[in-house]
Amino acid sequence: MPQNDQALLMRLKDSGLEFVVIGGLCVVYHGVPVATFDLDICCPFGEENVRKIESAVKDLNPVHRLTANKLPLEETRSSFKDLKNIYLQTDIGKLDCLSEVSGLGSYEQVLQQSILHTMSFGAFRILNLDALIAAKAAAGRPKDLDAVRLLQAVKERKAQQKELF
Amino acid sequence: MNGEYVIPPNAGPAWRAAAEYGFDMSLIEESLKLTPEQRLAEHQQVIDFMIELQESGQAHAAK
Repeated sequence: MPQNDQALLMRLKDSGLEFVVIGGLCVVYHGVPVATFDLDICCPFGEENVRKIESAVKDLNPVHRLTANKLPLEETRSSFKDLKNIYLQTDIGKLDCLSEVSGLGSYEQVLQQSILHTMSFGAFRILNLDALIAAKAAAGRPKDLDAVRLLQAVKERKAQQKELF
Repeated sequence: MNGEYVIPPNAGPAWRAAAEYGFDMSLIEESLKLTPEQRLAEHQQVIDFMIELQESGQAHAAK
C-alpha cells in the first residue's frame, strides 16, 4: 500500500480540521532520517472534527485498520462523538489521529508546543523539537528512545550553530 | 573508499554519545544540510522505494 503523507496533509488541511503533525514525520522534519510508514496527527475530537477527518479521506476507502474486520469509517458514524483516537488505512496511506500525546497532554497543550511551518504545499503545524523529544521519551519504545538520542544530538548541534551566529 | 565516521572535535556530549552508541551520524549531518521540506521529500522517495521493494518481494514469493 502506498503512503503519501503530503497528499494526506493537504486533504486534512482542505477539510478545515485543526491539527498538529506528530510522530515519525516530525522526527524526519527535525533532521533525523527514519523510515516511517504512517502519518500521525493530534487534533481536537468531537463529532464535528471527526466528520472533517471523514471528509478528508471519504473517497479513499477509509477503514479502522486496528479493528478485527477493518470496519469502514462511514459505518461507524454513530460513534463519531465518542471517539478519542482513530487509526485509519486509506488508499493513499495510514493516518492516525490522536486526541492527546503521551508526555505532552491534550490537543491544546500539543498546539502550544508546535511551530507553524510553511512549505510549498501549504502551512502546517508541527511539534517543536523539545516537545518531540518529550513525546518520544514518554512513548518509551526502543525505536522512540533511539530517536530521542538522535534528536538530542540535533538539538545540541542547532544550539552550537546559533552560538556561532 | 569510505572511511569510518570521525566525530568532529567540536561535537557536544549528546552528539558524541549518539555516535559512540553506534548511530551513523554522517546521515544526520547530511540531513541537517537539507531544508525540512527537502527532508520530507527525500523521506517520501525512500518510503516509495521501500514499499515498491516490499510489493515486488511479495509478488515474487507468490509465484
